[in-house]
Amino acid sequence: MSSSKESFNQISPSEFFYRNRDLAGFSNPTRSLYTAVREFVENALDACDQAGILPDVYLSIKAVDDEQADPKPYVLTVKDNGPGIDSKHIPLAFGTVLYGSKFGLKQARGMFGLGATMAILYGQITTNKPVAVKSSTDGQNQDEYELLLDIQKNKPIIVKHNTKEISKRGLSVSICLEGDYSKAGSKIRDYVYQTSLITPYATITFEDPKGEKFHQTKIVKTMPPAPTIIRPHPHGIDVETIRRMMVDSHFQIPTVDNKMIEKVRKELGLKKKNLNHSQIMEKASKRWPNLSRHVRVVIAVMSFLKMDFEKLSKIRIDDMDIANKKLVYWDFGESKSVSVDLDPESEYYRQLTNTVQGETLLSFLTKRFQRIGQATAVKFTEFANFKPEKRIGTMTNQELVKLSDSLQKFEDFLSPDPSCLAPLGEEPLKKGMAQFFKPDFLEVVQRGASAYSGFPFIVEMGIAYGGEIKSVGQTVYRFANRIPLLYDEGSDVVLKVVNEIDWTRYKVKNDAPLVIVSHICSTRIPYKTVGKENVADRPEIERELRLALQFLARKLATFMSKRGQAEMEKKRANLYSKYIPLVAQFCTELAGKKKEPDYKKMLKMEAMVEE
Amino acid sequence: MKNKSKASKTSEERRESLAKLLQEQGLKIYNELDRGEFPKFSVPSRSVSNIVYDKKLRQYILGNTASIRSARNMSQLRSFTQLIWLAFFANKLVQEKKSSTLRDIYYSSQAFSIDFEDQPESDNIIVDLEAVLARPREDLHIFPEERSSVFGDLTIEYTVPGYEGKRTNLSDHPDGYLIGPSLSSAELVDTNAELVIAIEKGGLFTRFVEEKVDKKFKAIIVDTAGQAPRSTRYLLKRLHEEMSLPVVILTDGDVYGEHIAMVIKSGSANAAHLRELTVPDAKWIGVWATDIEKYKLPTIPMTESDIKRIYDLQKDPRYQEGMWKKELEVFLKLKRKAELEAFSKYGLTNITDKYLPEKLEIAKSL
Repeated sequence: MSSSKESFNQISPSEFFYRNRDLAGFSNPTRSLYTAVREFVENALDACDQAGILPDVYLSIKAVDDEQADPKPYVLTVKDNGPGIDSKHIPLAFGTVLYGSKFGLKQARGMFGLGATMAILYGQITTNKPVAVKSSTDGQNQDEYELLLDIQKNKPIIVKHNTKEISKRGLSVSICLEGDYSKAGSKIRDYVYQTSLITPYATITFEDPKGEKFHQTKIVKTMPPAPTIIRPHPHGIDVETIRRMMVDSHFQIPTVDNKMIEKVRKELGLKKKNLNHSQIMEKASKRWPNLSRHVRVVIAVMSFLKMDFEKLSKIRIDDMDIANKKLVYWDFGESKSVSVDLDPESEYYRQLTNTVQGETLLSFLTKRFQRIGQATAVKFTEFANFKPEKRIGTMTNQELVKLSDSLQKFEDFLSPDPSCLAPLGEEPLKKGMAQFFKPDFLEVVQRGASAYSGFPFIVEMGIAYGGEIKSVGQTVYRFANRIPLLYDEGSDVVLKVVNEIDWTRYKVKNDAPLVIVSHICSTRIPYKTVGKENVADRPEIERELRLALQFLARKLATFMSKRGQAEMEKKRANLYSKYIPLVAQFCTELAGKKKEPDYKKMLKMEAMVEE
Repeated sequence: MKNKSKASKTSEERRESLAKLLQEQGLKIYNELDRGEFPKFSVPSRSVSNIVYDKKLRQYILGNTASIRSARNMSQLRSFTQLIWLAFFANKLVQEKKSSTLRDIYYSSQAFSIDFEDQPESDNIIVDLEAVLARPREDLHIFPEERSSVFGDLTIEYTVPGYEGKRTNLSDHPDGYLIGPSLSSAELVDTNAELVIAIEKGGLFTRFVEEKVDKKFKAIIVDTAGQAPRSTRYLLKRLHEEMSLPVVILTDGDVYGEHIAMVIKSGSANAAHLRELTVPDAKWIGVWATDIEKYKLPTIPMTESDIKRIYDLQKDPRYQEGMWKKELEVFLKLKRKAELEAFSKYGLTNITDKYLPEKLEIAKSL
């Protein structure tokens, strides 16, 4: 049955994303142009935020050929005044997929910097032009790269590299991609406008293909406090996360590749020399106190394998079965799997078991999670029915599931630490809204931190009424982690909360010119769809949104009733000054008098009484 | 020949008393304003609950409920101003002896930035002023579109500008004279007539003139053109009171005809605030329900609304006794009606030659 034989080739991450690019928002020229703008602008803002620099972001979209009809190639350039990227990291950062620095748990606009690479990949696919990256980390020298991506190998191809002297720090990325500005334009303009609204500490400039310029100078001059990277909350994890955390804890069998062998040789002082197995063991026991942890593990493995470096480089360690005291490896030379017994009497046995079994549950809980101290950890192990000294490496799959479930169910953990969140703050939000909408009434509120399923979140909301707002009815601007949400608003939890409020209770007519700005900050926004445009209605989030909106609506109601009174006064005064003189005129003639009665003092008195 | 020299000044007197009334109202408001007070009118309420039937006056009148319309109240300020404007405007009309129609009033207001939204609103203010002054709008020289007329031996003397002192006899023109502002304000000088016949229909009015009913019966003939307008009712009243003429009414033989007669006799609920429009001694001489059978008149069936109207009128206090009650009952029994023209079945002059003399004879005993 040779015809049905399939070949299972590994594909590189670049290849994977190339094949699944519509998942990341690059499904068609319209959507792709919009997504690319978002990814680059958000990266620029994130970079500045993290470096504590007030962002100055310049965005430009220019058609390669003005005459051509859409869709057509555009050059998209995003320039920032952020920290820049070290020259040596640039090829990897922009020329491979899955290279990034945003792996910690804290609030940021994007994750992992993946989207930007996707945009570059999309640009390359559609126009076959390299990405141009210019970066300066010191404000004196600038590295300029032109890069292509080797999709099969997931490796950067440096087309051009040179450096020159400049006077400004920051990063500029420029790609050529196929887009449809005639269709994507309004969304991109909305995006830039709303991003300026939620980032009042940033200066944002946008030049579009028609030469129109949007420019918003920063309204506030202070950065909101930066979020800190924190450990995960026990309520917010699942089995897969625990597994990754265990790997992350370095308690694992190192991969014995050439690089590792080099390291072992170096630490043993055997860089050039080839020794046999027992000579190596002897050397190792002499140098033991100075050896690094990983090298010690490799030595322990070698002690059971009875191999020298030459032999070691031809195998792959597959399994360390402590329960059956067996070590399994794959021999490349012989092309077979070999099993070796582990002698528990050996001095290296303990080293291996410790490594394989990992740290104790107690240590794992207290060191790897937030909000778990020694006492809570002990209490939890009782609750979950685990021994505190149980080593996490010995846990079976079922036990891991039980651990994960118990972490979710245990109710004595303190609620998540919100220090990883970066809300905008009431003052900047208020100033931004004042500048944007110039309303008659404006109020903002930042709710206290709350949590859903172990993820902390904070709701910020602002309401503006009247003034230069000319809309009929409410306009709702939705933001999540300082990103505008532009699509799919119908099914969004914010819209749901806004629509459910009975405005007449707050003396607001349904067609009143009203702007509501809602900002949800969280380490994980519960988006409904992969498009990340609408927030799902988690009860905890819905409740916070509702409380925020009700608070603001009450403030608005107070304003409206005061204003209603004032308007009534004004109307009264207007009516009196319109009609009383007429009454005076008519009754003077009717009465046959020459002079009109002195009604002016009456109008004055009336005005005073009403004040 | 009845020469009412005493009555010849009636029109002038009325005008003067009205002018005085208007001036008083103006002065009252002037003084209130001058004292720094918000002026106000007391407007008799015209709501249904305040309309009562006065048996002694034999007409509907307004009860004692009145509402204060104050310039202080924001929701009333506009209509207050409209009211005083109307008084001011009517005063000018009366002084200058000019007349205007309801429609005129609506348009004139716009020159004074008194914004009536529509004619019904201005009409309503006119009724308000009638109620405040207890005078019909015709006294204020405000007239509806006219369509009723009069014919017969009656000499009048005009008082309208350009015709002052000029006399006319109302038998000079065979189509009759329109009962308009000049006729309403004219002095009634003298007449040889001994009777007034009010008739519902223009067609019959013309027949009566042709058949010289005015001469044969020494009558002044008035065409009410359906429900008699105010000016017509006012003329009937003056003919009755100033010229001491009895008034008889001839209508179609249906429930509406009966009510036309009743309104001339004792007024309508709509005009309950006015007391000078009724002729309580007027007599309805036909066509009665009982006449339909008696004269074997061709009939047409009543409609549902005819029958409903009967039930409505049966609740009216004026229809609780005598012929008024009896005729309604017969109509209801017959469920058929007959028009005045029905007599033409027996010849065009049957109504004037036979029916009218018989009914006038009966009227004497009513």
